[in-house]
Amino acid sequence: MNVSSLVVLVVIGIFFALAVWRVAKKGAPCECGGSRKVCSRKGGCSCCDCGED
Amino acid sequence: MSKSIKIALAGNPNSGKTTLFNALTGSEQYVGNWPGVTVEKKDGILSGHKDVVIQDLPGIYSLSPYSIEEKVSRRFLVEEGPDAILNIVDGTNIERNLYFSTQLAELGLPMVMAVNMMDVVKKNGDKIDFDKIAKALRCEVVGISALKNEGGMEAAEKVVEMAKKAVVEKGPGKLPDVPHVFSGSVEHAIAHIEESIQGKVPLRSIRWYAIKVFERDREIIKKLEIGVGEMKHIEEHIRDCEKELGDDAESIITSQRYDFIKRLMDKSLALNENRKDKATLSDKIDKFVTHRILALPIFILSLCVMWFLAVAENGPGTVLTDWANDGFLADGWHVPFTTHECRAEGKYKGMEFEDAQGVFAKQDASKSAWEEAYLEKINEGKSDDDKVEEMPEEIDEKVAATIVAKGVFVEDEETGEPLAKECDCENCAKKRESGEECEGCGCGCGEPDLWDVDFAAYKAAKEFEEPDPKQFGVWVPGLGALITDALDKAGVSDTVKSLVVDGAWGGVATVLGFVPVIFIVFIFLAFLEDCGYMARVAFIMDRLLRRFGLSGKSFIPMLIGKGCGVPAVMAARAIENERARRMTVILATFVPCGAKTVIIAMFAALFFREQWYVAALMDVIGIAIIILGGIALKKTRFFAGEASSFVLELPAYHMPTVSGVWHHTWNRLKGYVLKAGLIIFPACVVLWFVMHFDWSLNLLADEEIEKSILHDLGSWIAWMFEPLGFGSWQGAAASVSAEIAKEQATATLGLVAANMDGATTGSHIQALFGSVSDFPKLAALSFMVFNLFVPPCMVAIAVTFREMGSKKWGWFAVGFQLFVGYVLALSVYRIGVLVAGGGFGIWTALAFALDAFCLWAIFRPGKKVKS
Repeated sequence: MNVSSLVVLVVIGIFFALAVWRVAKKGAPCECGGSRKVCSRKGGCSCCDCGED
Repeated sequence: MSKSIKIALAGNPNSGKTTLFNALTGSEQYVGNWPGVTVEKKDGILSGHKDVVIQDLPGIYSLSPYSIEEKVSRRFLVEEGPDAILNIVDGTNIERNLYFSTQLAELGLPMVMAVNMMDVVKKNGDKIDFDKIAKALRCEVVGISALKNEGGMEAAEKVVEMAKKAVVEKGPGKLPDVPHVFSGSVEHAIAHIEESIQGKVPLRSIRWYAIKVFERDREIIKKLEIGVGEMKHIEEHIRDCEKELGDDAESIITSQRYDFIKRLMDKSLALNENRKDKATLSDKIDKFVTHRILALPIFILSLCVMWFLAVAENGPGTVLTDWANDGFLADGWHVPFTTHECRAEGKYKGMEFEDAQGVFAKQDASKSAWEEAYLEKINEGKSDDDKVEEMPEEIDEKVAATIVAKGVFVEDEETGEPLAKECDCENCAKKRESGEECEGCGCGCGEPDLWDVDFAAYKAAKEFEEPDPKQFGVWVPGLGALITDALDKAGVSDTVKSLVVDGAWGGVATVLGFVPVIFIVFIFLAFLEDCGYMARVAFIMDRLLRRFGLSGKSFIPMLIGKGCGVPAVMAARAIENERARRMTVILATFVPCGAKTVIIAMFAALFFREQWYVAALMDVIGIAIIILGGIALKKTRFFAGEASSFVLELPAYHMPTVSGVWHHTWNRLKGYVLKAGLIIFPACVVLWFVMHFDWSLNLLADEEIEKSILHDLGSWIAWMFEPLGFGSWQGAAASVSAEIAKEQATATLGLVAANMDGATTGSHIQALFGSVSDFPKLAALSFMVFNLFVPPCMVAIAVTFREMGSKKWGWFAVGFQLFVGYVLALSVYRIGVLVAGGGFGIWTALAFALDAFCLWAIFRPGKKVKS
């Protein structure tokens, strides 16, 4: 396997890890088409089920 | 640290609270113009005031503890105690809205009444005297238009000012100035109660508590721990009033409130004389839209229009999806409305791109046919081991000269249909001109176009190269092509290239390719919601459902479910009756959600281009399952009982704002794009690995996929899908992976069909269904129905378990949904095969037996259980 292939694999791996980390931390993203978006006192809004920003 | 100021945003359902909340806080809360959209209170920071928290409460009609919304709002207003109240009132229905306002005023909190929809009030020519209302209710009154973002911030500034003043002035023992709306004897009784409960409640709310005790509100009496002797004394006063006024205490309070409001309205509301007793435009539209007979066909028609625009052949949805799938996300596209003529020297110079493709396809067909015939010839009489499989570089000219092959041009590589011959005979030419079908003259017109290919023709065909789209007009490369080019230039190995192009990007692109269809569906739904039609749909469905003992209240979560099943399941919380709530949770996700729309879009594009109504039929089947499933469940002892009441306000029709429709649509679309990156991408990477490695973790070549882990996993469960017509490892893998997120089914199909015949992902998937069934369209329909009506995605299942409150009920819901999806897919495929002449088998018999069981469950006499 050449260097370019390794670089691409690492990039894919980073994106994969970021996606998994994000889902693990905040839950699955959702279509906030419903009544489950909650705005915190700090001003940020998130989905009460999945934590989507 | 300074304490934040809490402002409660309270009002009747559908009075515009959430619209005002979004305007004041810059939030993007979901706004719907039917009741029950907000079931929990939500916080937001007032723009420009970091220390002010606005709390959006569920819309309610009174502070009685009957519904879940009333409980949430009452608990917050009375127990948690905001610093001030911003009471939003619908100006076009002010008389009815004031009933709740009088109760809020009795809480003794600083209050600003924001009279909403003043633009409509003014347009109607009505006049409201704010000063008189303010004086009567002891509060500030301002006119606003939340939709047009007029006056909302001024009302908020005013309520903040009052709250700050109240915080400064707050002191013990100070009685608030609250309105006195009742007759002498009632006021006398309330005064006695106030004396009895003094010290047990905050002084500012003492009147509200006293009125609740007068109404014999059990929750409040229990909370105040009023002694038996004291309660006996209070009861005497209440009974005296009841005796004098000839009614029960709660009714006395209600009717005297309305009397007060009536007197107040006589003084402060001047309706336009010309408008009185005249039917409004909304009334006129409602005559048709909510008509007893026409209502349902109009609703189905609106669904048909939506799906026609989204998936019909040459419709906007299909054109955009084709562009996204084949152009933007794949190889690239020619800029429209510019010339696509070939500029480069060569065989195609001056030709349009589509014509050049046609020429090449025919030459390529000649080449393939001749090469096949040549190989056959030189392999004659050889053993299998000695046979030549690929065209040799050196051609034996003597052998070649003897070969004349039959060329056949396949017109449509997706359907495999050969090009029909058009002969030049006079008879056929005449018929073609008049648009008639040419049959029966014996000239062969309409039959597959076959032609002779000799060695010379073969050599000529070899000269033709595939037309390069870059040489035809302005060509914009697609994302897929850019990624492939970049990987090629970087010299990335084929395996890693396959992981990126077929796995990661392929899966994401398959889902994103159908965003145009979702966009059209959501923009259409947003328009219907914002103009006020969806509230009518709830009304229509209530009328329909009530006939079968179901409540229209159950349909609200289902309307929300068109966007996403998770909020739909959660919206069922607004239903007080536990049985009805459980039943709604089970049924709500049968309405195909946005993610399932991707599945519908894919199958409509690949198998039902000319039958766009199949897409609309999926929505109709969803609603039918809800009704029939509801009837069947109602007949069991677990769900039997009377339908609960449903109060619904029909908002006046109005032209939706562009920003409102866009806001609704974008909020939902955003979820898909995020999901494609966060769920579909990692899932496709994992699927690629299990598809390209065996159990010993050896990397497999494309032709060795059948040794892969995914192949084995899919094969182990494929038997379950055999009766449904897609019993292959690919069909099983796609169906199971759909539980991650429903649109994953499309991404997985794209991935697992990559080795099938054809040049595009679409043709691979068509070939896949062709390889597993003699009736690929029926197998595809069965796959679509199965994935639409079995349990929803994992997140929705988790929420179902949570909302059901017990594992037993959670499993019941999932089991019921699995049964419905499986029986439906089995019936569609097996009965479809029978009708199409595929014969009767054991699975057909089972399909009929299960259908008969379902009919029995629907039509059998129901259990009579006390609700």
